[in-house]
Amino acid sequence: MSITDLTSRAEAQVAERKEINERLQKLQEEVSDFCYQCAKCTSGCEAHKLLELEPHKIVALLKRGLIDEMINSDMIWTCMSCFKCKERCPQKVAPVNILFTLKNLAVASGKQVPGDFTAMLQSAMGIGLIQDIQTVPTRAGETKTREQAGLPPCSKPKDPAKFQQTIMTVAMEKV
Amino acid sequence: MTKYALYPGCLMPTEQYGYEVSMRSTLPLLGVELVDLEGFSCCGEPLKSINQMLTLTLSARNLAICEKEGLDILIPCPMCHLALSETKKILREDPKMKERINSKLAGEGLVYKGTSKLFHVIDLLHDVIGLDAIKEKVVKPLSDLNFATHYGCHLFRPSELGRPVDSENPQKMENILEVLGAKADDYAEKLDCCGGPLLPVHPETSLTKTGQKLQSIQEQGFSGMALSCPWCHKMYDSKQKKAGETVGAKLNVPVLYLTQLIGLAFGVEEDKLALDLNLSPVEKVLEGDQGVGS
Ligand code: SF4
Ligand code: SF4
Repeated sequence: MSITDLTSRAEAQVAERKEINERLQKLQEEVSDFCYQCAKCTSGCEAHKLLELEPHKIVALLKRGLIDEMINSDMIWTCMSCFKCKERCPQKVAPVNILFTLKNLAVASGKQVPGDFTAMLQSAMGIGLIQDIQTVPTRAGETKTREQAGLPPCSKPKDPAKFQQTIMTVAMEKV
Repeated sequence: MTKYALYPGCLMPTEQYGYEVSMRSTLPLLGVELVDLEGFSCCGEPLKSINQMLTLTLSARNLAICEKEGLDILIPCPMCHLALSETKKILREDPKMKERINSKLAGEGLVYKGTSKLFHVIDLLHDVIGLDAIKEKVVKPLSDLNFATHYGCHLFRPSELGRPVDSENPQKMENILEVLGAKADDYAEKLDCCGGPLLPVHPETSLTKTGQKLQSIQEQGFSGMALSCPWCHKMYDSKQKKAGETVGAKLNVPVLYLTQLIGLAFGVEEDKLALDLNLSPVEKVLEGDQGVGS
């Protein structure tokens, strides 16, 4: 099995899905009891103005169990994880956490992950960091390396093979 | 000198060198010894949308590396600080999960216990070192400058986790800038997100958010923006030109790390603050600084 491309797995991860589903179920019970659809979360949502994300509707859909509709929608990927919705909800509901869990479920169900997430994940699994050390531009139009900036070597996993083992067992875990 | 393990995260040590250089030049002047450790990895927060267990494992792994040395931890990135703080909370409240995570870490010979205290640069400066100690070191006050502060969402939310600054009215950066001799007026958009987390998925919208906030800061006549997050700096400084194009505005806002401003006020030489790496027009601030009765 190719270990580096978690995001394009052909087969859905059955056990992983089960665990995430349990998490969602717990969230569902919580929101059903507490969310009264005041939409305060949506009124401050950073993604609402520009991308029409409506966290209160995410909560309402979860209440009704319309999970497949959500994991098949690009909407869940527009959250900026600013945590305003969680901070300001009068009922201590956290739409942002529901969104994280829905995205996890989408990935575990073999859905296409949008944008550069795949590149970040591959880099993290390979070298431990979401990107490798860059040469950066200066304002004067030149470039500088980390070393030229006077910095010591960058800290990375000492034994990449063992490190990969650690995170692969998490990513592929059968519960 | 008080020792802290420096947990660098991903973004600062791979591209945001201005933050790291200025931190390493200024914090030792305030009695902080930064200890570099080998073996760190990503905190996992940027991958939380993919797999939350991965975030938990990676964060616990980095915490375990610091605990091994018995050190408290300085975490310059608000996003890493959130991930590590949340992991500590989850593993404290869920011993079964702690056991499960530790079984993963065993392969690399690591054990997570939960013994280290976590600090960000802002609370270390404001609450541990203290404003008086900072004030004592100021030799070139940043007079006549008024900065719009930007903390980074994850530094103040979610407050339930216990964040380094207040979630609705953060003032610690303002207080620090004040003892440096500058002003830091409040502004309506202060708590708004930089748009950075959206960059991998919707670059255009992400840059629109960045541009809108900068535009508003520019219109309000601030001398510049002071910040304490490598992701936000990437958006407001490194990508300022693109953000300007996205919102159809000519942006000219000097953007500096708080640690660079501290260095300037302490009289640290400019090359030790890596000011050549800021792509925004920081000369405006440097000239202003020189013009002041210092
Ligand atoms: S999640 Fe909270 S803020 Fe949002 S609609 Fe429900 S109760 Fe209101
Ligand atoms: S965390 Fe996501 S859903 Fe919540 S307010 Fe921010 S952008 Fe909106």
